Amino acid sequence: MIDFIFLAFIGFVLALGLKRPYLWVLLYVYIDILAPQLIGYGVIQSVPVSLIAFGAAFVGWVLFDRKEGARFSLRQGLILALLVWCFITLQFADYPVEAQTKWDWVWKAMVFAIFLPFTITTRQRIEALALTLVLTVGMIVISTGMKTVLGGGGYGSLKFFVKDNSGIYESSTLATVAIGLIPVIMWFTRFGTIIKPHWTVTGFAAALCFACLMIPIGTEARTGLVCIAALGVFLLRYTEKRLMFIAAAPVLGLIALPFLPQSYYDRMATIAQPGGDESASTRMQVWAWTIDYAADNPLGGGFDSYRSNSFTYTIPVREQSGNTTTTQYREVTDEGRAFHSSFFELLGEQGYPGLILWLLLHGLGVLQMEKTYRRWKGKTDESEAWISPLAAALQIASLIYLVGATFQGIGYQPVMLMIVGLQIGLYSYITRLDSAKRALVTDQVSRRPNRDANRRSNGRKSDPELALP
Amino acid sequence: MIDYFALALGHCLLVLAFMRLVMRDSLDIDPAITELKEAADAKRSVGKGNRRRQRGSSGPEKGSAAQ
Repeated sequence: MIDFIFLAFIGFVLALGLKRPYLWVLLYVYIDILAPQLIGYGVIQSVPVSLIAFGAAFVGWVLFDRKEGARFSLRQGLILALLVWCFITLQFADYPVEAQTKWDWVWKAMVFAIFLPFTITTRQRIEALALTLVLTVGMIVISTGMKTVLGGGGYGSLKFFVKDNSGIYESSTLATVAIGLIPVIMWFTRFGTIIKPHWTVTGFAAALCFACLMIPIGTEARTGLVCIAALGVFLLRYTEKRLMFIAAAPVLGLIALPFLPQSYYDRMATIAQPGGDESASTRMQVWAWTIDYAADNPLGGGFDSYRSNSFTYTIPVREQSGNTTTTQYREVTDEGRAFHSSFFELLGEQGYPGLILWLLLHGLGVLQMEKTYRRWKGKTDESEAWISPLAAALQIASLIYLVGATFQGIGYQPVMLMIVGLQIGLYSYITRLDSAKRALVTDQVSRRPNRDANRRSNGRKSDPELALP
Repeated sequence: MIDYFALALGHCLLVLAFMRLVMRDSLDIDPAITELKEAADAKRSVGKGNRRRQRGSSGPEKGSAAQ
């Protein structure tokens, strides 16, 4: 039954796209994030919905779009360079079969990230993409948040739509993306034009933000907690009433307390003592190993190069029998531990060239959003007031991603690459808007000498002595 | 049940958004940039017209000045 509902929705959007082909781009965004073909368990699995949507989006853009203002930006160039470099490292990958598996989804995410900004040429398109991202991620967030509030959660035990620990359905990734999108959600309560600001919109946005904050609690993803703290710090910059904001943090914490199971406290306690947790202590070991690996292989070892690592170390293991707790130190050997950090993921897989490209891509995004925020800050006209807050929201999304990416290997996360596409689209749009404004002003200024000349010649005409010397 | 609720709510809102978007020309043609460009073009053509008129009126004047 659910398969037919998904197919009906996809068919409906495909039909709407005949009038506005940009909707096919949004359809691909929706399918790539939610993966309805994995949620359904019947006919939808045999329909290549993702391929259909991408084909429609690309053909629609090539054949029917006006392409006015579409330009190839520096950041698209960086994604392209990273894509080419990934393909090169794939050729000499340490683990060719595993590398090929990862390449199969990475190249698609990158190609779409390069393509996406070409389609974002109007304000409505920027907003429509942001809304599609928010609502699609929102579906997963609402479901997870409600399950947390109503029935508790647990690391690895909370059921998502898809029983697959990949993509956005990995708990830490979902927590990072959900927290990063909070400022964008709040942006819609003030500047939305598709669904206009209204108390119902504010109510929905507040509930959605609350659900986003519940993700790290429900999934017990420690990275999520770090992201919430980072969000609080980043938001301080944009808050007028900073003291009230700081005071509200403990209140929010108190509200969250009833939803926290004991296992959550136990797991979060390991943030401060990484030595007591296998996952956390392995992380440090993997990072040290990656630096050594990159020293020997500065050009990287291709996707999944972490598989060659192996660590033996002792960790304390607590055992409780009756009222007695004994702690024993046991030797543990770990093999093929994942990078647990995007920075080290890029370093280990793509070497220093890949890491530099990746850092430039995201660093430039933060800088461009900062420039946009400052340039359009304080504008009150309806056609311009929305720009600076959206730039700030997207900058925070980038920063939260970078914080989350420090502790998990999400360097090629498709949702984040879509947010990168959105940032590029916004930056290109405001560059066009700026140049159109400048053209108008320059035109006026350049005509001033003419006007002065006119006045002078008129003056001559009115003064016979000057006109006829 | 919760999953169905979340999916239904999200899809309804997406349908609402897409229905509104499909009605709007501003999805394909940006009104702010178009307005600015049109204003620039209009001023440019007014300027050209003025210059042409000016040239037209200054022509005989030059002639009379030459006499």
